[in-house]
Amino acid sequence: MMTAGVGDLSLGLAILLAMGAVLMAIASARFESDVLLGVGRKLLVAFAAAVSISVAALAVAMINCDLRLEYVAHYSEKALPIGYKLAALWAGQEGSILLWAWLLAVMCAAMVVARRNYLKGSEGAAVVITLAVVCGFFAALLLFAANPFKPIAIVPQDGHGLNPFLQDPAMIAHPPVLFLGYAGFTIPFALLIGALVANRRDNEWLAGARRWIIASWLFLTAGIILGAQWAYVELGWGGYWAWDPVENASLLPWLTGTALMHSVMAQQHRGMFKRWNASLIILSFVLCIFGTYLTRSGVIQSVHAFGESAIGTFFLTFMVIIVLASGILMFVRRGALTSEHELEGLVAREGAFLATNVLLVGMMVVTLVGTIFPIISRAVSGHEVTVNQSFYNKVVGPMGMLLVALMALGPMLVYGGDAAKRLARGLIVPALIALVVTAFAFFRGLHNGWALLATAIAALGAACVFADLLTQIAHHLRNGENPINAIVHIIDGNHRRYGGQLAHVGMLMILVGIVGSSLFNQKENFELKENQTAQIGGFTLRFEKLEVVQQANFVGYQALVNVTDRDGGVSTLRPQIRKYDKAEQNNSEVAIQSSWRGDLYLTLAGFENDVAGIQAIVNPLVGWIWIGGIVMAAGAVLCLLPRLIPLRVPQPLKARAIPKMAKVNLKSA
Amino acid sequence: MRSNIKIKLSVAGVILLGAFGYLAFAGMQKGWVYFVGVDQFMGDQQYATSQARIRLHGKVATEGFDSSAAALSAKFNLAGAAHQLPVVYRGAIPDMFQAGRDVVVEGHRDDAGVFQADVLMTKCASKYEPGSPHAAKAEKQS
Repeated sequence: MMTAGVGDLSLGLAILLAMGAVLMAIASARFESDVLLGVGRKLLVAFAAAVSISVAALAVAMINCDLRLEYVAHYSEKALPIGYKLAALWAGQEGSILLWAWLLAVMCAAMVVARRNYLKGSEGAAVVITLAVVCGFFAALLLFAANPFKPIAIVPQDGHGLNPFLQDPAMIAHPPVLFLGYAGFTIPFALLIGALVANRRDNEWLAGARRWIIASWLFLTAGIILGAQWAYVELGWGGYWAWDPVENASLLPWLTGTALMHSVMAQQHRGMFKRWNASLIILSFVLCIFGTYLTRSGVIQSVHAFGESAIGTFFLTFMVIIVLASGILMFVRRGALTSEHELEGLVAREGAFLATNVLLVGMMVVTLVGTIFPIISRAVSGHEVTVNQSFYNKVVGPMGMLLVALMALGPMLVYGGDAAKRLARGLIVPALIALVVTAFAFFRGLHNGWALLATAIAALGAACVFADLLTQIAHHLRNGENPINAIVHIIDGNHRRYGGQLAHVGMLMILVGIVGSSLFNQKENFELKENQTAQIGGFTLRFEKLEVVQQANFVGYQALVNVTDRDGGVSTLRPQIRKYDKAEQNNSEVAIQSSWRGDLYLTLAGFENDVAGIQAIVNPLVGWIWIGGIVMAAGAVLCLLPRLIPLRVPQPLKARAIPKMAKVNLKSA
Repeated sequence: MRSNIKIKLSVAGVILLGAFGYLAFAGMQKGWVYFVGVDQFMGDQQYATSQARIRLHGKVATEGFDSSAAALSAKFNLAGAAHQLPVVYRGAIPDMFQAGRDVVVEGHRDDAGVFQADVLMTKCASKYEPGSPHAAKAEKQS
């Protein structure tokens, strides 16, 4: 019980530290003392330390399987492999909020340390107060409404065990990565509040915020892709996205975050869209909190939501306060949010940013309305109405397609007046390539309209990226550089630009994967006796036999299925049904054979005597989604990397000049 | 020049909003279904003869439960506090599906009064406790 006491105590201490940070920051603004503000910053770091101790205490309790804690007894068991014992830390409500709070605390601490010279005066005080309030909220939530250190009334012999669905590597990584994204949006929010309080009219503060926006977006993207991957391999229905409220909850801040990443550029370079950006920063932050609220409060019936609890009220109150307070602040400071430039033309970079933003926010609104439609309809008409997947597919799908089409033109767009002319000139070759590729696909038998459109968009987008890169390379080659050197220098010279384009290529790959797997998937159910064969989508399946495998915390029954693919390659797949010791029901473990052309996805639905019920799904191109996700994340990483090769500067200056160059370069991206 | 841009912007905005509005409307027409409990569906007059597509929630009754994962079909009674509705479902059986569990089904009632479902979702609680909060919830709502 020692560790639990420590964990509980340090949560209490954390609340005091957050309150102390708020008080110190207020005092520093009142007495214009940077020393007091420094104390406030250090208290935030101490807060992170206190929450870290809590997390460590829970981790120790988890690893030792300390069944005197209700949380451990509910989510773990003695026989669980050590990795999953640790992952069980965030399997339940209390633990996952602790993880959220911890990641938030660590990021806040990192931020106040890294930007200590920047956090000065009323601006610095407002930033520290905002961070401390959000941190304090989570600490209070943990201590009063969702305490993971609650002792259990009767100590059981063994725990309930971890839900078999959560016993998957993607599920170990998915929550922390997603929460990093969620928590990360707190920092741009705090920086915005600081800039508004200080009535800043310049856009300097945005450079710092932008890095956090990109980093948070990176984690959000990775988290969503990991979640989709988990659903795909674990849920057994062959899909990766079902427009479930929990999934939508993570998509909402991603959509506004993506919009923000683009429109922020227009503010940095041209001083435009200030009000819009401020709103998006607030919206993204609130949607992150909303996502947590939606999944944790049980307000919406969901397939995989956590049980309902009292914490809903905490979250709702907190969200209302954030929206009201920041709305009022924006209104008071509306003078600082007026645009420095007017929009010069629609067919220019700023016009494209605008259109992108409208589409992304539109998609967010549709998804949000669809998600909370049961609540709205119940309030309005008394009848609960849900919208099903076809609603989202029909509405968000076309909007997404239009968005990606716009995105494909990205590299060809410049700022300002003559953008239309340059777009037309730059587009000739890529458009021809797209036409040829689409015609080729058509004559190879692709006749579905949406699929042809997606092919054209993907080809155009990829061609634009390469055409743009080739033009640059040609330019360098004329100066006598060798090609490899030229590519490295071009990309290294503008990480933001090429990182963005890499992310776009990733998005195009995801488009290909989504269209391929959702329009052309085949699904069939077979009842096979031993050595009987079946055929689906060019694959021949032969059921060999049934085997039993014994593991630490489950018994698995697996069907050996011999698979011959289109090209005659032979392999064996082993879909399983697992009977976990601690679970009431069976859990099926799918077997997947992947290639770039698509997946063969087998589920053992059941077995009786020597007959196996096998569900076979052929999912064309689905692997492109995962690879596309990695490419997208790599793009964001490239954006965040400092310049790798120093510019050629006079020797004595070189060592000191590198960081400066990197900074200058970030702004010019 | 300036007002020219504003006009263009407004026109583009109106077209875009109109298109989205239409999309959302069309999507709603096909994509929305009422979501009610079994008791309301059976008890309320407005659903008495309805064969429209609907989403129902209730508990899987122990009596009459017949599910074959291998055959990819299930027959069961969906129970509320006062009423029961026979359901036939065809498709992959979710892992968590069994008698006594809270489920959501989507489909329509056929001429014989049997509910033909093509969507079956089990509530997946992150923790399993005997007599989990969901069981309590079903009673509360009905």
